[in-house]
Amino acid sequence: MARLTAGIATSHIPLLGVAIDQGKTEEDYFKPIFAGYEWTKDWIARPENRPDVVILVYNDHASAFDMNLIPTFAIGCADSFQPADEGWGPRPVPVVENDADFAWHIAQSCILDEFDMTIINKMDVDHGLTVPLSVMFGQPEAWPVKVVPVAVNVVTYPVPSGNRCWKLGEAIARAVARYPEDLNVQIWGTGGMSHQLQGPRAGLINREWDTRFLDDLTADPERLRHIEHIEYLRETGSEGIEMVMWLIMRGALQGRVRELHRHYHVPGSNTAVGHIVLENDQ
Amino acid sequence: MTTDIHDYLAEFEDIPGTRVYTTKRARQGYWLNQFAMSLMKAENRKRWLADEEAYIADWPVTSEQKEALLARDYNRMLDLGGNIYYLAKIFSTDGKSFVEAVSTMTGMSVDEYKAMMQAGGRSPDGVRSIREGR
Repeated sequence: MARLTAGIATSHIPLLGVAIDQGKTEEDYFKPIFAGYEWTKDWIARPENRPDVVILVYNDHASAFDMNLIPTFAIGCADSFQPADEGWGPRPVPVVENDADFAWHIAQSCILDEFDMTIINKMDVDHGLTVPLSVMFGQPEAWPVKVVPVAVNVVTYPVPSGNRCWKLGEAIARAVARYPEDLNVQIWGTGGMSHQLQGPRAGLINREWDTRFLDDLTADPERLRHIEHIEYLRETGSEGIEMVMWLIMRGALQGRVRELHRHYHVPGSNTAVGHIVLENDQ
Repeated sequence: MTTDIHDYLAEFEDIPGTRVYTTKRARQGYWLNQFAMSLMKAENRKRWLADEEAYIADWPVTSEQKEALLARDYNRMLDLGGNIYYLAKIFSTDGKSFVEAVSTMTGMSVDEYKAMMQAGGRSPDGVRSIREGR
């Protein structure tokens, strides 16, 4: 049986990818950002924690999907995905290998569970997906895990509600539990935390709000499910809405959850860097 | 309980200095954003940089959008339906980072903006709601 063993959340700031690709992680600006991932890098490298597959929830930033196609929830079902050229050439990172049998299983299971997923085969993956892999695994020849990409529209409004995201997480967890192969599976929610990349209000950061969000992933997740879009927009900036993707991760974890590690740092580019590692408290 | 779409959208107009990317903006900015997407190809970036006017002539953007684009007036492009993740292809082609491009929308110099971020970012106090002034 496949087992969902842990949930990880992290920002997916493009600049962190640039820093890794260009060997700048030891510079003063980046040092405190990357220091907060050291715990997780050590933890995930241990054989008992190393996932076979990561279900990686992220958003496409006008890379694979343009204005012609705006799927609310999409799942990548091809064997592999190339890093996208986002305007400065593709990141020099390995091809992302999927566990396509498992991805198709999740897609089918979620659809039967009344989540009408969009199935994607040909899709390049942008920093939203590759930066989290880089901060966790550095610069390997090949990624040490298979990745099932789950892309969420958080760009064109209305985006899905936090509660809907939570329920998708629950549906994904049911799909994992029904998969007969013996797999160690993690689910990652990416993006956030507070940031605004546009207009005169750009640069907004809300440490207090972000901290409460991190706290309530374990203390009061029910509150998080019902945060409305307007609150994310007012309190965390126009791009803070990406945190609904963390709720897919959190919804997939069952019952009581334990926090293993947390990291928060301002700034990473225009953004509050947030990262947390959670596991089911069984 | 369902949310009334009109109430939902109306609240977006109450956030200072922010254009939420609604479907209305998406329709208005369709060609501007699709043009920006074309810059994801190296050969197109080369053609664009060689002659911006000639390149944009092939795209059915409005004259206001064209003007804002050639002036790299990002706030105006947002007003005319541009979305920041699409517009990112334009400033990336210019060799500008997110911080450099984003700072131009705030009325600050790049250095002032960087200093604000280094000091913890812009506080949400006073910029949450126009109506409520909080």
